[in-house]
Amino acid sequence: MNPRALGAWAVSGVTIALATGNPVYRVLVLLCALNVLIALRRPGVSIRGLVVALLVATAIAVATTTLASHTGDHAFLMLPSGIPVIGGRLTLEAALFGLATGIGIAAAVLAAAPLSLVLEPHALVDALPPALARTGAAIGTALNLIPGIARSATEIRDAQRMRGWRPRRVREWPDLAVPVVLTALEGSITLAEAMEARGYGSGMRTHYAEEAWHRADVAVAAVAVVAAMLFVALRISGVVSDWYPFPDVSAPPVSIAGVACCLALAAPLVAWRR
Amino acid sequence: MTVASLRGFTYRYPNASRAALDDVDLDVDDGITVVAGASGSGKSSLLRVFNGLVPHFHGGTVSGFAEVCGRDVITTPTRTLAAQVGFVFQDPELQAVYPTVERDAAFGLENIGTPPTLMLRRVGEALERAGIAHLRSRAVATLSGGERQRLAIAGVLAMNPRLLVLDEPLSQLDDEGAAALVTTLVDLAHQGTAVVVAEHRFEKLGMVQGRRIAVDGGRAVSVEASSGIPAAARPLRPSAHPRPTGPVAWRVDGLATGPLRTPVLEGVTLEGRTGEVVALVGPNGGGKTTLLRTLAGLLTPISGTVERAPGRVAFLPQNPMALLHRASVAAEIAWTVRRDPAAGDATDLMAELGLANLAQRDPRDLSTGERQRAAIAAVLAGSPQIALLDEPTRGMDDGARDALCRVVLRMRAAGCSIVLATHDINLARSVADRIVSVGAGAASELVAVGVA
Repeated sequence: MNPRALGAWAVSGVTIALATGNPVYRVLVLLCALNVLIALRRPGVSIRGLVVALLVATAIAVATTTLASHTGDHAFLMLPSGIPVIGGRLTLEAALFGLATGIGIAAAVLAAAPLSLVLEPHALVDALPPALARTGAAIGTALNLIPGIARSATEIRDAQRMRGWRPRRVREWPDLAVPVVLTALEGSITLAEAMEARGYGSGMRTHYAEEAWHRADVAVAAVAVVAAMLFVALRISGVVSDWYPFPDVSAPPVSIAGVACCLALAAPLVAWRR
Repeated sequence: MTVASLRGFTYRYPNASRAALDDVDLDVDDGITVVAGASGSGKSSLLRVFNGLVPHFHGGTVSGFAEVCGRDVITTPTRTLAAQVGFVFQDPELQAVYPTVERDAAFGLENIGTPPTLMLRRVGEALERAGIAHLRSRAVATLSGGERQRLAIAGVLAMNPRLLVLDEPLSQLDDEGAAALVTTLVDLAHQGTAVVVAEHRFEKLGMVQGRRIAVDGGRAVSVEASSGIPAAARPLRPSAHPRPTGPVAWRVDGLATGPLRTPVLEGVTLEGRTGEVVALVGPNGGGKTTLLRTLAGLLTPISGTVERAPGRVAFLPQNPMALLHRASVAAEIAWTVRRDPAAGDATDLMAELGLANLAQRDPRDLSTGERQRAAIAAVLAGSPQIALLDEPTRGMDDGARDALCRVVLRMRAAGCSIVLATHDINLARSVADRIVSVGAGAASELVAVGVA
């Protein structure tokens, strides 16, 4: 799997998800992205946390819109008007608009998620164009520091415990936090020194593992990019209609061409089957 | 041929009261040059001149002249010198840039724009030479300290430098790894690479013939053209002394243990008595640290039992900086003493370990060897019943190692049960009642040695 092809697919998915407020297309993007994640994620990577976070975000979007927007014909609850901001009619239209917004956010996030859950961090960094290679290497190094800090925290905690440290009050936690921060800073300086000594920043970088483009990669990237461009064109021309539930909720309009563009995002499931 | 020259070179770190390098005049020629000196003498600072980290990375004030591979060090940035000068640092834990072995070994080559096909070949050769070709796909986070050191060396060898500088490269290598590295260095020297190596473990450099630079108080002088450095380790010998017969201080029975519930050791049954010193030896990644951590109670056994006699267990981790974070060495030791009700004054211990003059220094400003001594004092202060020391002589010069031996033997006489994991066979021979070989998933009694 070429990281740049996956990058093109992710950008296409995010573009379609954000180009329309129509929940039907957004749901289709969401389903395609979710299936790609499930099928292609790195071994041992769990997406449960991400899914829970998106469900929470969607619930917040629904709650916020429902409580703050009081327009729409179908009221299902009346809060006392004396309550600031949320007081008044709570409508089905506002709740559905919040739901569509939440689905849009979830679809966009899930479309971008394979960049971190399918690819190794350094594979993405390597895929950056040469002009960004130094920045990419710095980002890759920073990503690598995170597990190092976690290990260091464990090491320091163990060492302190062996010396009798038993934190009982919050004010004793600096005994752990301060050395972890200091060690992280010192580790960063040492790493910077090692990078400098290994020629980092001396000129144009090359990549050890330059991912080749295979037919499947070209197919995924081409299908996704064409689908996104077509979707945007259809949206501008009005063939793909937006959806707005106010003042009276109605079923979202659906175009076959729009649905086809969204379903094209399932291409990785066919091309990159493992 | 002269590869590096320093003339009247003086360097002072920012805010330092005295010069780290003082009016140094020396030449480094092809072949191998060994840099010797006590901890804190200025060896590491001198080595950093060769690739320009001093003064470019560390700042400070500099005077005099330094030229390496035909380039003026004071006007040439380190990253430019890196194409010709390879540098292996003392701390292998902090050198890895990428998460996998193969990718990390290629980092330097990527930086100097090596074509991918050539890079692939050079990385393969370097991993082979460093003895870690079998670890090619491993995650760096899963490597032992010694394996990380080999990776750091491979990353530099891959760049095929004109001058190779190594700061205590043998400090965490097992015998096999150390011998392989020395052979590699000799080969490189024969192939035209100039090699500068700072090392305390001279016995490991027995076959090296070359010049020697002695560093003391920031002054460096060329010594004799050495015809090999003597003092190879004597073979272990069976003890003429009876084994201590005190009560059992710790015991493991049918132990299987390893990080993340993955067994590194299985079926281990061992015990140690009060007043006994047990040395764990064995290859890098063999499980010495895992066994120590299990004895310390920091790692839960997968199966089997671990028993410890009541009392405090002192534990020295491989990385001394996990311990040192107070404002001064004295404050660090006092922190331990406050938590040990039986502890008395640690002044004697500090004096024994040569820390009296460093008591008010910030541990982070000390050299590696000095930090190690400070960490040892911080864990051994008070009166532990069991002391577990992981690579205690790392970065130590001969004087500091002798001091450590005296401390260990004094504690042994006082009834402390001591377990140390080490590659330093001289240390094991000097203090251990028993030596246990740890590796290949098991631990077995190797040989008993006498303690004078």
